Amino acid sequence: MQRNPKELPSVLAKERRPAPDFTLPVLPPYRAEWGETFRLSDHLGKRPVVLNFWASWCYPACYEEAPVLEATWRRYKDQVLFVGINTQDKEGEALRFIQQFGLTFPQVFDPRGRVGVDYGMYGVPETFVIDGEGRVMVRHAGAIDQASLEKYLKEVLP
Amino acid sequence: MRAWALLFLFLLGAWAQGGSASPPPDLPPEVFAIARELRCPVCQGESAAESNSGVAVEMRRLIAEMLQEGKTKDEIKAFFVERYGEWILYEPPKRGVTLWVWVLPVLGLALLGLGLFAYFRPKKPLPPELLEEAERRLKEPPA
Repeated sequence: MQRNPKELPSVLAKERRPAPDFTLPVLPPYRAEWGETFRLSDHLGKRPVVLNFWASWCYPACYEEAPVLEATWRRYKDQVLFVGINTQDKEGEALRFIQQFGLTFPQVFDPRGRVGVDYGMYGVPETFVIDGEGRVMVRHAGAIDQASLEKYLKEVLP
Repeated sequence: MRAWALLFLFLLGAWAQGGSASPPPDLPPEVFAIARELRCPVCQGESAAESNSGVAVEMRRLIAEMLQEGKTKDEIKAFFVERYGEWILYEPPKRGVTLWVWVLPVLGLALLGLGLFAYFRPKKPLPPELLEEAERRLKEPPA
């Protein structure tokens, strides 16, 4: 029995709270560009951020949304930062997933899912949209579609 | 023969389910006592103590870490309420609308008690002059 996370409000998004900070290791393919570790607060307040929690075992939802996220990132990469948080997963399987979809936006590794708890995450996939001031605007539970993602980005872009 | 096979399967099922309720050896029982008062975010009607979903496992780990840091049960529960809202509590706080959830059963029990008391209360015998009056009226020919 799974509950429908869309029925449950996000405390962060409802109260427009500042996005909880985290520091996580960057997955190997992204280290050349993003360094060994990624700290969210280094990137907040400059431009909006899209945080996407995913796992390779989350089928089909994570597999449905991966191409949408990649295509949208390529279109908006100079205005919005996309960050993937691989959660409760094994590194080898995460890397296979990344290769399968050719993901080019930075991916960080959270095998315990500690950051998910800070974001009040119910399950994967979940996507949080953080505005230019570093506040959480939206929590989208389940696979994100092109139309919803575009709508959220229009809300946070000047 | 079929009965034996069924019994074997039943016992196998019981054995397979037996392990899930007992806490893993690496976490103290205090962790499970607190986790039982928190919902599993991913599941329907399960506490964070019973579920083996990734989020519930991480919640138990966090509870264990916070206990080691010397945090109290209330501080730990507040940590999860801060992130998930009061929904995460298995027992809603006793105020506002949720107050009625606590008060109504008590009121119902009190009313039931009163009704039972009234029903089973020892009846006082009627005064003899009233009984005599009633008997006399019964014996009177109808007018």
